[in-house]
Amino acid sequence: MKRTLTLLVASTALTAAIGLPAWGAMRAMTDGITGPISATADAEREAVPLMFVSDDNDDDDDREYRRTFFFGGDDDDEEDDEDDCDDDDCGNSARNPAPAGTVSPPQNGLFGSGTPPKVQVN
Amino acid sequence: MKSLLAALALTTALTIPGIAMARPVTLTTTLNNYGGDGAYLALYVTDPSGAYAGSLWMAGGKSKYYEHLTDWYRATGGDPAQINGITGASVGAGRTLEITLDLADALFDAGYTLHVDAAVEDMRDSPNEVAVPLTSEGADNPVSGRRYVASFGYSM
Repeated sequence: MKRTLTLLVASTALTAAIGLPAWGAMRAMTDGITGPISATADAEREAVPLMFVSDDNDDDDDREYRRTFFFGGDDDDEEDDEDDCDDDDCGNSARNPAPAGTVSPPQNGLFGSGTPPKVQVN
Repeated sequence: MKSLLAALALTTALTIPGIAMARPVTLTTTLNNYGGDGAYLALYVTDPSGAYAGSLWMAGGKSKYYEHLTDWYRATGGDPAQINGITGASVGAGRTLEITLDLADALFDAGYTLHVDAAVEDMRDSPNEVAVPLTSEGADNPVSGRRYVASFGYSM
């Protein structure tokens, strides 16, 4: 019993003696790698202030007057409006509705089931 | 064996009313050659009292233009949740949009009206471009729109 105890104490001491310095060295290495990266990211975050992109508000008066459709000067083709990202609402796509086929139709009582609509443009 | 038959009868009894309470309806919208870009179209339904009941289709995926579909926008506040899963691309001049939906039977011959709002870039908005009562007799009888829609009809 005494012998087993002695062996256990010795192996624990040996593990601690070898393991602790190695663990300490690994931590130091990891800090050495991520430290400069996170520092750079922090610095960039502070250097570049957040800005709001224009939302076509300069057209508002015309809209009220003529009740016409203004796209804020971009000349995109509306038929491929899911693909392009050259105008000002690209970062705002979360507010756009989910296209047909990606989710079930809304549960508004008009649809008999969750069957997705079939669409064709000729 | 008896319990299996009972289970089958029960599932059939539960399924059949669901099938019978809806029918595939094809909505066909043909646009005029109005000489502009693709049109945004909102297809929606009002109940017998004229209150907004729900949307059936939105042609045009960018919510920032929905304010031009004025009647639909007034009724919904432009809420994208109203048209999740029933939104597609805008429709070009002279093109025909054909949508087949599984619609509840309760909508027909019960005083509901289907409306179409339309808007085109740099052209006038056209709320309530089309308004047709949803009836069995109205099926396969296309009507003309006010500005951009050459004809609109539904078939069952």
